Parts: sequence; structure tokens; C-alpha cells
Amino acid sequence: MKRNILTVVIGAVLIIIFALLLFVFQVRQSEVAVVTTFGKPTAHPYDQPGAYFKWPWPIQKVYKFDQRVQNFEDKYSENLTADNNNLLTSVYVGWKISDAKSFFPKFAGGSVPAAQRMLESMLRSAKSAVIGSNVLSSFVNADPKQLKFDEIEQEIQRSVQSQLQTNNYGIELEFLGFKKIGLPESVTQAVFQRMTSERQILISLAQFEGAAEAQKIKSAADRQASEVVNNAVADATRIRGEGEAEAAKVLPVFQQNPELANFLLRIDALQQSLNQRTTLIFDERTPPFDLFTGIPVSSPSH
Amino acid sequence: MERNAGKNGLVNLIAAAMIFVAAFVVTGYAHSLAGQAASIFLGLGVLVTFVSWFQMRLEENERLEKLELDELAKSKGSSTLFEAKDAEVFPASRAREQFEKFFVPGFGVLLFLLETGGAWLLWRWISRATGAIAPDRAMPALSLFAIFALLLFLFGRFSVTIARLENHRLLRPGASYVLLGAYICFVTALGIAGVKAEFLKVDYYVAKALCVLLGLMAAEILITLLLEIYRPRVKGKISRPIYDSRLVGLLGQPESLFTTAAQALDYQFGFNVSETWFFRLLQKNLPVLLLAQFAVLLLSTCVVFIDAGEQAVLERFGKPVVGGVLTPGAHFKLPWPADKVYHYRTEQIQTFDVGYTPDAQSENENTILWSVAHAKEENFLVGNREPVTIKDENADTNDTLKAPPVSLITVSIPVQFQINDVMAWAYNNADPDSLLQDLATRAVVHYLAGVDLNEVMSHARLEATQTLRDQIQTDADARKLGVKILFVGLQDIHPPVKVAGDYEKVVGAGQQMIAATNNAVADAIRTNALAGALAFTTTNIAYATRQRLEVQALARAALFINQIPAFEAAPSVYRQRAYFQTFAAATANARKYILLVTNTQDVVIFDLEDKIREDLLNLNVPNSQSP
Repeated sequence: MKRNILTVVIGAVLIIIFALLLFVFQVRQSEVAVVTTFGKPTAHPYDQPGAYFKWPWPIQKVYKFDQRVQNFEDKYSENLTADNNNLLTSVYVGWKISDAKSFFPKFAGGSVPAAQRMLESMLRSAKSAVIGSNVLSSFVNADPKQLKFDEIEQEIQRSVQSQLQTNNYGIELEFLGFKKIGLPESVTQAVFQRMTSERQILISLAQFEGAAEAQKIKSAADRQASEVVNNAVADATRIRGEGEAEAAKVLPVFQQNPELANFLLRIDALQQSLNQRTTLIFDERTPPFDLFTGIPVSSPSH
Repeated sequence: MERNAGKNGLVNLIAAAMIFVAAFVVTGYAHSLAGQAASIFLGLGVLVTFVSWFQMRLEENERLEKLELDELAKSKGSSTLFEAKDAEVFPASRAREQFEKFFVPGFGVLLFLLETGGAWLLWRWISRATGAIAPDRAMPALSLFAIFALLLFLFGRFSVTIARLENHRLLRPGASYVLLGAYICFVTALGIAGVKAEFLKVDYYVAKALCVLLGLMAAEILITLLLEIYRPRVKGKISRPIYDSRLVGLLGQPESLFTTAAQALDYQFGFNVSETWFFRLLQKNLPVLLLAQFAVLLLSTCVVFIDAGEQAVLERFGKPVVGGVLTPGAHFKLPWPADKVYHYRTEQIQTFDVGYTPDAQSENENTILWSVAHAKEENFLVGNREPVTIKDENADTNDTLKAPPVSLITVSIPVQFQINDVMAWAYNNADPDSLLQDLATRAVVHYLAGVDLNEVMSHARLEATQTLRDQIQTDADARKLGVKILFVGLQDIHPPVKVAGDYEKVVGAGQQMIAATNNAVADAIRTNALAGALAFTTTNIAYATRQRLEVQALARAALFINQIPAFEAAPSVYRQRAYFQTFAAATANARKYILLVTNTQDVVIFDLEDKIREDLLNLNVPNSQSP
């Protein structure tokens, strides 16, 4: 009997739980629910958190949606700017279901993926149009004052939002921002080439400016050295001249006997002009070789 | 009654075969993966149903043969007939025995091979399959599979009931397969319904689950084949066909769990295990045990443990409980499904990276160079104030000038954050993690698009990190993310790998320029120093010369004055003496030739030129051509 009571209690609890699951549904703080009775949506969606009664399937069905801001990123797609530059962009979008009752029938039972696909197609269209009316320097510019990043994002958002409101999709676009901007591969390669060429200019500047500076320093040094040497040579000439002048002061002494002076000068000159490798040819009359003339000569037969 | 068993078997066979063909066609029409797997089960069911029906026919023939022999024995009363050999007297019995002895194990092996091969091939095919169920074909396929399920269920349920009767055991294998086929068709229909409800992977997962089931069936039949070798043979005990899968029977009739288990144990051990007290106790109290276990499970949902570094949001019927942010520790709550708890890592510092995706290999490297990719890097557009002006006349020939006036840069920016408002984090955005990354990436893209490449790589770098941190925090607050940005690091910023080498070359060229200038300065110093020295030497030589000239002149003058008296005293002798003294001194080392003119006939010729080297004289000079 005791065991039967326990079984009954547990069974009753289980039945209550199953009944709750069948007849009650919960709406979370982050959710909004649409209830359909035989396929027809009820008057007001359930947008406040709590537990609500419903008839079990197939009489009533509950469709729950996340009413928080949902975000997704569109495809990294290529567009042409107003100044004919190809630009790749990708934007992220934050959107939320603002009117679940309108949203529910438009996307096959409230399919969020279907809604995102629709939003993405709208977004791509608006993005192409807005990018096409702006120049590249509005997206990338070393002067931040000329950037129109925020304005472009707001323009795309306004364009998509107006379409959403016009057709009453039950969706609200909360925010939009560029996540990626880039260039197609071929243009990227061209940018790399340009960056390389800029570096090449700087390399040439450094290399040839260095060579030129070195050349200048060397030539200045050569000139300076030449000046110093030339001045020294000039000084030397002058000094030698002074010596000559001093030496010339004793010449009157030699004038006392010019014959002897001339003779001495000649033998000095003779002495200085003969060196070790000199070959001299004398005849027998040259003193002191004239002594040979007195020596008897032997007959040729001997 | 016996005739009805054969008929039932035939009806099952025909129904299974027809539905197998129909399911195969519907699968091809809808491109359902689960339908493909279901078709294999139905095909196996047709085989098993056919074999069991054939075996029933053999047993029926044996029964009729015995009846005929009994009749003959009663009418003739002769024993001659019974003296003949068994094979000649009981051909139908002999045929049935041979069938059970050889064909049934062989069919078991075949079934094992088919199930193993089917599971393996089907798994590979499903993994590679790229097609999906066409939306417009999902509903007809779903309906048809539901109808197949219903038909098979009716046939199977009826046959399973009949199979419990005596001598109808051979109806059971086919009936079980038919009933299992019904459930599999139902599950397949659910899978297609899932696809219809935008859960595109449901069909795929159902197909995978059926593959696993097929593999389990193969394993079961293999075990049965092995156990069959060691099973004790009890005389008079009717053996269970190997192809009669217990797993299929259990899945087809889950309520018969205990019956199946008891039969299996009894069959395997050769005595009635199912009649032991433990087995009976377990069988009697199982519902209570299951209920109690469920109750314990439910009670366990009344306690929640929050780990260190976490916070949790408590919801009661979907509504956050006031003050319901749970901190680390144990907490009581109402059981599921009234209260639910959602955990968040609030204390933990979370990190994501902008601009690069780290990879394990490069993380282990100790040196990070611009010119070597150290992660999966992303190029960002950056402004460019051109460092030099390129002349316009080259514009037509130089392709590089056609590039837009932007540059590319690679950055590695780790962002660290902490959840500081768990309610905002949980309830304002569906995917706050992803949104925060989007906001951070946008801030980086925006910032880099408005700065100069060289500036951001050098002096603006420090300012960049602060600007980015502030911007990300502002954006996160605007989106009510409930996070605090702790750190934004510009740990790496450099030109893309493809052009990084050229940037390094510029630095090298700058150093070369300094080196060339330094070398020139050194040369200049050397040149000037040597010139100074040369000038000094030249001047000094001049001074020495001057001094020499002066003193020599004085000396000569003094000498001359002293020579005059001697000269005047003996002019010729003095002259001669001076001449010979000088001659002897001057010609002491000179080569001297003296010509004596006593022999006027002889002419002596002296070659007075310096001797030239012998080897040069031996040179063979080619003869010049005469004109």
C-alpha cells in the first residue's frame, strides 16, 4: 500500500509535468511568442516574460522569436566607387524583430534565416548604391577629416530601414558598420608594387645621397690637401731663394782672384759630375796618364 | 492455423517487398538521406521475410509428410516401409534439416556482411552527400513515408501477435523486421519534416543514426554467430533462427524488453534464468524504479552550482527573478521546467583577436619578423601620405602609379574584456560575443583608414591603442553589451609580408649612406693629414737647403781666402796639385779606359754602353717582311 502511494505520487507529479508541457508555454525575457489557433495568429503577440496557457497541438501552435538584437555579417563583395576604384566591403548589421505579428507570416513561420537572407539582399543593393556615389578617399584617407565613414554607414542604414518600413517587415535595423574594406587581388598586387617602388625611391635616395656626400667630402679633402701642399712648396721655394740670397753675399770674396775661383769651380764641377758608374776614356796625353808615353813598347812578334 | 502462418508470411513478404520498392522510388524523388538508409533496412527486411517464409514452407512440407506416413502406416500395417533409410523415407524432413544446418548459418553470415557493408558504405556516402531535400518535394515524401509507416505497422503488429502462437515462431523474424521498418519509416518522415521546418540537418542526423543502428545489428548477428558455436544443444529444444535478431525484436516491440531478455538468457544458458527470484523482482519493480529515478532526476534540478568566475541568471517561467543573478556557490531553485539557470563567465578575462588568426606552429616560434608570416594575417587599408613625389611624365609607362593612393598594413590586436553587467550581456543582444568582435573590427578598420601608414607604425602607435580602446568601449556601451574593455594591444603592426622586405632595405640603405659618409670623412682626414705632413717636410727641406747654402757659401769663401796665398805663391803647381787631388778623388771609383796612340794601325773599339741583360739578347725576334 505504501509503495502504491509512492507510485501514485510520482506518477501524479509526472502527469502534472507532462500536462504543464502540453498546456503551458514559457516566454523568456529575450523572447516574443506568436500563438496560432488552427493556423490563425492570435490578436497580440506575447512579448512579456512569463508562463502562458495554450491548447495542445494541433489546436494551437507556439512560435517563439528572439527579440534581442541579432547581428550578422554580409558577404565580402566588390563594388565600384564614384572615382572608378574597385572596393571590397563587408558590413555587419544589428537587427531585431520589432513587430512579431508582422514578421511571422512574411518569413515562412517566422524563419530567421529567411529574414537574414532578405535583409542581406536589401543590404547588398543599398551598399552598392551608396559606395557608387562616394569616392575612395571618403573611405581611406590619411587626413581623418576627409573620411566619411560614419556618413556612408548611416546612409546605407537609412536606405535599408526605409525599405523595411515601407513594406512593414516587422524588422528594425538597429545599427550597421563596416567590418572589412579591402581591394581586389589584382589591385592589391598593384598597391604592393607601388609601395615597393616608393621604398625603392627611398633606398636610392639613401644610397646615392650617401655616395654624393662621400664624394663631396673626399673632393673637399683633396682640395684642402692640395692647398696645404702648394703653400708648403711655395714657402720652400721662397726659403730656398732666401738661402741663395744669403749665399750670394759672399761672392765678392771670390772676386779677389777670379782665375783661382773659376779653376776651383771647374774642379768642383768635375768632381760632382763624376760618379761611380762613370766610364772615362783618356788618351795618353791626359795627365797623369801622359806618364805612359815614356814606357818602351815590345815588338809585335812577341 | 498452420496454413495461416504461411499465408501471413507470404503477405508480409509481398507487403515488405512492395513498400521497399516504393520507399526506394520516393527516396530518389526527394533526395532524402534518411530515406536512403530506411530503404536498406526495408531491403534487409524483405530478405529475412523471404527466408523465414521459405523455412516455414519447409516445415509445412515436413508436417504434411509425417501425416502421410502416419496414414500409410495405419492403413498397411507393414513395417517394410519403416525399415528403409530415413533420407529415403523423410525427404522433406531431411531437406528442412539440411536447410537449418547449412543455409541458415550461411544466410546469417550473408546478413552480417550485408549489414556491415551497408553501414560502412552508407556512412561514407552520407558524409560526402551534398544534395538536400527539395522544399517542394518534402511534403509528398513526408506523407508517403508516413503512409508506409502506417501500413507496415498494421502488418507488423498483426504478424507479431500471430507469431506468439505455437508453431508460428518463424513468423517472428519477418514480423519484427516489418514492425521495425514501420518505425524507421516514421523516423524518416520526422527527419523530412525537420527539413521542412528549416532544420536542414535533421535528415542528415537521422540517416547517421540509422547507420549506427545498422552497425549495431551487424555486431549483434556476429555475436550470435559466435555464441551459436558454444550454445548447448538440448534434444527436442527447437533452435532459434540466427537471422531472428533480438535487437530488431526489441526495437520493434520495446514492451517486450523483459520477454526478449528472458528468452535470450534462457536460450543461451540452457535453463530458465528468467524464473530466478532476482529476475522476477527486477521485472516486477522496474516501473517503480524508473519512476523513482526520474523523480531523483527532477529533484536534482532544484540545486544549482555556480563555479568560480561565473555568474548565472535565474529565470522563473522565462522571467528573470528580481535579484536573480547567482554568484559562485550552491543555490536552491524550483525544479525544471519552472526555473531555469543560464551561466555566464563574468570574472574570467576573455580575449579575441582582430586582424589575425593565431596558429599553433607560429605561436611556438621565438622570433617574429615582418617578412615571415607568423599567423593567418589580414591586410587592412590605411591612408598614405606619399613620402616622395613621383613625376607625372612616368604616369603612362609605370603601372604602379595606377594603384589607388592607399596602402596596406597588417595588424595584430588582441582585445581583452570582462562581462561587468550580466543582465545586459544576456538580454540585449542575441550574440554579444560576435557583436563585440564586429565592433572591435570596425573600430580598427575605421581608425586605420584615417591615419598615415608611416605615422601609425611609428610615433602614433601608442596613441592608437588608447584611441582604439576608448572607441571599442564607447561602441560597446552604445550597444548595451555590459562589458568592460580591459586591454587593446597593438602587439604587431607592419607592412604586409610581400613588401616588408623593401621596408627593411630602406633601413639598410640609410645605414649604407652613413657608412659611405663615414668612409669619406676618414679618407678626408687621411688626405689632410698627409698633405700637412708633406707641407711640413717640404718647408723643412727648404729651410735645410737655405741653411746649407748659407754655411757652404761662408765656408767656401773662407777656404778661398786661404787658398789665394798658396795659389799666388806657385800658381801652376797649385793648380796642378789641386787638379790631381781632385782627379784622383773623383775618378777613384770610375771605370777608366786609356787610349795609347803608339800603335796607330790598331783601332780599339770600346762598347761603353751598359750591358743589357743576357736573356733579353736571346729573344727571337721575327723577321719583318721586306717590302
